Amino acid sequence: MNHTESANSFAEEVKTIPGGEFVELCYSCGTCVSKCMIQEKIDPEYNPRRLLRMVMMEMRDESYESPTTWLCSSCDLCYQACPQKIHISGVITAVKKIAVEHGSKTQLKTAVVDQQTCVACGLCVEACPYEAITLVRKKVPYRGELQVAQVDPGLCMACGLCSAVCRSTSIRIPDTFEDAELMEDLWNWLQPQESASNGY
Amino acid sequence: MVDAARQPLVDVRAFTEVEKVEGFVGNFKVTLREKAKYILADRCNGCGDCAKVCPIEVPNYFEMNLAPRKAAYVPMSQSVPLIYSIDMDACIHCYKCVDACGPLEAIDFSQEDKFVEEDIGAIVVATGFGHFDPSVMEEYGYGRFPNVITSMEMERLNNSAGPTAGNLIRPSDHKNPKRMAFINCVGSRDKRYNPSCSNFCCMYSIKNAVLVKQMNPDVDISIYYIDIRTPSKGYEEFYDRAREMGIHFIQGRPSMITEDEETHNLFIHSEDVLLGKVIEKEYDMVMLNQAAIPQPDQNHMSSVLNVAQSPGGWFMEYHPKLRPMDSPTDGIFFAGACQGPKDIPSSVAQGSAAASRASRILQSEKWEIEPTVAVVWPERCSATTRGRACGICAKACPYGAIKITSPEFPAEVITAKCHGCGACVAECPEDAITQLHYTDAQLLAQMRALLADKPEEKILAFRCHWCSYGGADLAGTSHFEYSANERGMRVMCSARMDTDFIYEAFRLGAGAVLYSGCHPQDCHYITGQLIGAKRADRLAKIFSKMEMTEGRFRVEWISAAEGDKYARVLNEMQNVLDNIPKQDLIDEIERLKPDMLKRLKNFPGVPGVAEAMDYTETLMGAIQVQKEPA
Repeated sequence: MNHTESANSFAEEVKTIPGGEFVELCYSCGTCVSKCMIQEKIDPEYNPRRLLRMVMMEMRDESYESPTTWLCSSCDLCYQACPQKIHISGVITAVKKIAVEHGSKTQLKTAVVDQQTCVACGLCVEACPYEAITLVRKKVPYRGELQVAQVDPGLCMACGLCSAVCRSTSIRIPDTFEDAELMEDLWNWLQPQESASNGY
Repeated sequence: MVDAARQPLVDVRAFTEVEKVEGFVGNFKVTLREKAKYILADRCNGCGDCAKVCPIEVPNYFEMNLAPRKAAYVPMSQSVPLIYSIDMDACIHCYKCVDACGPLEAIDFSQEDKFVEEDIGAIVVATGFGHFDPSVMEEYGYGRFPNVITSMEMERLNNSAGPTAGNLIRPSDHKNPKRMAFINCVGSRDKRYNPSCSNFCCMYSIKNAVLVKQMNPDVDISIYYIDIRTPSKGYEEFYDRAREMGIHFIQGRPSMITEDEETHNLFIHSEDVLLGKVIEKEYDMVMLNQAAIPQPDQNHMSSVLNVAQSPGGWFMEYHPKLRPMDSPTDGIFFAGACQGPKDIPSSVAQGSAAASRASRILQSEKWEIEPTVAVVWPERCSATTRGRACGICAKACPYGAIKITSPEFPAEVITAKCHGCGACVAECPEDAITQLHYTDAQLLAQMRALLADKPEEKILAFRCHWCSYGGADLAGTSHFEYSANERGMRVMCSARMDTDFIYEAFRLGAGAVLYSGCHPQDCHYITGQLIGAKRADRLAKIFSKMEMTEGRFRVEWISAAEGDKYARVLNEMQNVLDNIPKQDLIDEIERLKPDMLKRLKNFPGVPGVAEAMDYTETLMGAIQVQKEPA
């Protein structure tokens, strides 16, 4: 941990990015952490409060490596609960942006485009909630120069919406939620269920 | 309370509302509404026979609706004065109470509200605080889950005179809880509801925890907190004692409470911040330590008493550090939480201070006020010149100190009520009012002296006495560098910053003018700043229509603590001036001069102004002569 005193401190940098302005209002009450679904379901080490603290304490490298930086899906459950009205996902997105600029790579398996079949219809661009997909003109092996979809791994949250809307099955999240796996889940789910004992 | 009621000089008026407060320090006329009790105070001996026979039961507000009371009732057995009253909203007119009262004949169903007017020398306001309703915070489930209670309900449940005679039971099944949680900061320190800290809740929840633990040592108690604040004498020791007793303190604000539908046990989801882990613990009962908020009718009282409110709604004191018990209106004082949430020792101290302040007024024959009061020139008032008083001054006065008995007579200032903000002086379209020690002539003379030499380089800063003057002072004592071209003019309030001064400043060729005062909530003259702000807006519009360079006239609200802001604003204004080529600036000043002059046509007629102009003309001449040889 290094305490840099310069005007271009990490916290200052985060505050200049829209969404990151109010990071210093955090008084570490922990409401966001116990509200977080990702913390509960995916990674117990996931902790937005700690990431905000790391920003304030100038822990640059640690926050680039923190899973909190990469796993937040901006559901904003914490934003509604935060007594200081801090837009926590905004702060996390700001940190992520800086991390990407510094060359850090996302810990998620982000969407990949099959350039051989993509027809650049733009459906995925519209569907992406994180504005991670753009249409670009580039040289594609065997197909020549044409327009295809391209995913910005720094913005992609691997939600799979693009994969769901793609009509030519050209975009997918590798190894997770593959079509075959989902179809099997769906099939199982459609089978007659035993009556729910837990009330749900 | 009983002692106070026994004092021959203390007159307790229970069940009475203040309707109207008129007059001024030492001479208030207060109208009271003595609400009908339907039981005659001079006959009732408090025996309670009427309540015994009354067949109607309604929830008792005093017991937080946890117990019933009759329609004929006293809120609690220790009420002072111990006089019963009948709740007409609940009464079914069976008249059983009349029979029960018998020969005392204390019950009178024909009673009506009575208005009484009293001569009052000084007023101490001690209206206390209200409670935040936690049912708006859905995540805590108050109102949905029976075993989530508020601190006030806890107070009754744990009280030996309360509805359960001190047996702490949980509402769902009336069993004694074995695991309890107290949640602090419910609705306080929360920008969605009340951003401020309620001051006493930390100690309050520790107190309740200790009380419960003393009665039932095997109860497991956790207190969820954001920060524990124990700043007064002996408080930290009490906190230590609570920890020694085995009360658990968990740092972490719960995000959610869920309930087991069968057992009605509660699960609190929170992060244990110190562990950095999310925990979910089961409890039998949860107490929410709700925020202290202003009384629901605080706004109404503020307009009845004519005292301002601070941000958040509490009554505003005259000075937060030096005069916390005084209101901005002479003769009205605050005691306790009506001025801001505070604990018992602070309330007692403030109450005693308010009482001694009030007795100073009652003891004195004469009362000294600030000398900067407003004075009317009756011969200039529109009542004299045009036969009809316009009433603008009376409307502007934040204190109601200007009296216009009828439109034919000139306005009159009630000197004892005037606090010297100067709003009326600046607002008067006839220039028929002046403020002693801040007359137009005096301020003009200052202004001309300040702008005598190279006015186009100067920034004339109008500062209000209480805030921006203090801000400028702080900028100086803190050694914040700001433009040396600033020239400061002090007036009591931004309400005194007459349009004439601003026009005159620009006519004299000032490079820039700053119009600064308190933030609206800090104004020491109740609504003075609002009057000033409105005028400043109007001026800004006029100047932009005149196509004056943006930034030459600037309006800023700067508190006495914002020295850095004062310096920054001044530097920004200097920047504006630096960015206008000198010749352009001079051309603009010359171009606008006729406009300014046109708007100043009444100004030279104000008594003293012409003389001041002549005098300063000579003075300025002298300054120029002195400069030339150098």
